[in-house]
Amino acid sequence: MTLEKVPPSLRGELTRWLIEVQTGVYVGRVSATVRDLLWDKVVQHARAGRCTQVYRTNTEQGFAIRMHGEQHRTLLDLEGYALVAVRDARHAELMRDYQPPEELETL
Amino acid sequence: MTGEGNAIIWKRQNLRELPKFRDGTGYLYLEHTRLEQDGRSIQAFHPDGMVTIPVASLGVLLLGPGSTVSHSAMKAMSDTGCSVLWVGEQGVRLYASGVGEARGSVRLQRQARLWAHPKSHLRVVRQMYAMRFPEGLPQGLTLQQIRGREGARVRDAYARYSRAHGVKWTERKYNRANWDDATPINKALSSGTSCLYGLAHAAILSCGYSPGLGFIHTGKQLSFVYDVADLYKLEVVLPTAFREAARGPDELDRRVRQGLRDHMTNLRLLERMANDLLTLLDDHHEEDGDDDDVGDLWDPDGDVAGGVNHAGDDA
Repeated sequence: MTLEKVPPSLRGELTRWLIEVQTGVYVGRVSATVRDLLWDKVVQHARAGRCTQVYRTNTEQGFAIRMHGEQHRTLLDLEGYALVAVRDARHAELMRDYQPPEELETL
Repeated sequence: MTGEGNAIIWKRQNLRELPKFRDGTGYLYLEHTRLEQDGRSIQAFHPDGMVTIPVASLGVLLLGPGSTVSHSAMKAMSDTGCSVLWVGEQGVRLYASGVGEARGSVRLQRQARLWAHPKSHLRVVRQMYAMRFPEGLPQGLTLQQIRGREGARVRDAYARYSRAHGVKWTERKYNRANWDDATPINKALSSGTSCLYGLAHAAILSCGYSPGLGFIHTGKQLSFVYDVADLYKLEVVLPTAFREAARGPDELDRRVRQGLRDHMTNLRLLERMANDLLTLLDDHHEEDGDDDDVGDLWDPDGDVAGGVNHAGDDA
């Protein structure tokens, strides 16, 4: 779990369950219920901050990701494969020439 | 020909021998994208943003129509052992591929030796057939009888899945010139099979073998790919293809690829492929003959034994 620009008390709260290995980076092994409850708590109190949670699952990649408050990055699901898409200068440049395939319009 | 020749000799696998192929993820399909290198990362264009692709842990990258790859991106993928398959519309055709992470040729030489020697070639063929029959094959079948049983097994599998999912099955047929002519189940099978071929290809390259030296199939550059893919085709592709074809034609190929991902994970397919390849080609089998055989001395009247002193009394 990572936190950025969130209220200090939320950081403190998280350390009751997880260890803070670097500023804003929290690691620990908790049950699925606790993991979800912690996520709800973080999202509820994040205000303008950003947070990300990565946890183990039984998928091909072995983990799942969720994000909150992130402006530049979006989670992409490419046929079951999770990746992150970033909008940067290069993307803006390529986007100008991008022409969506015709099939997409009919979907 | 007959007798104990078809028993599988299972040997405990030295885990360190397994290439990293089995630890990675299977495949990723991209289309209408541009792949390039940025810093050391490989990035693909997506309408939502630039996507960094973890090529080193990826087995195969399936590139669909509208894809462009820069030279440096291609080189990086080749260096990290990610195979690249250019697939046609809906992933039907397999156009080309990169190289795997193997740099040595020890395994290639071993494969060539096994392939070239009729005794060991037959052993590998029998073992490949035996792997498809979980109940085992009776002793003493001729190759022709084994092929007959294999044909029946394939026919039964198609009939079984056809009944189970209520999808009418007549024959495996598609028209390369006009993709849309094919029935949905044939489309589903084609797009699933191309994923499987890609993975088999990547596994073969990754272990350092040649896709051209096939044992059951022969005479094509991808003969060994077909050999390896056939070991798993019924178990891997059929259930997903029939299930998705039964659900209707919308985005069929995409759904097949997604369904296969979970199915392959459950089957631990990547790990099994690497294991099976090494079991087939790397294990030592008594019946294969001795690699250190001294060889004979050529003589116009027929070869004479090498490794002995022919000087006789004159010595």
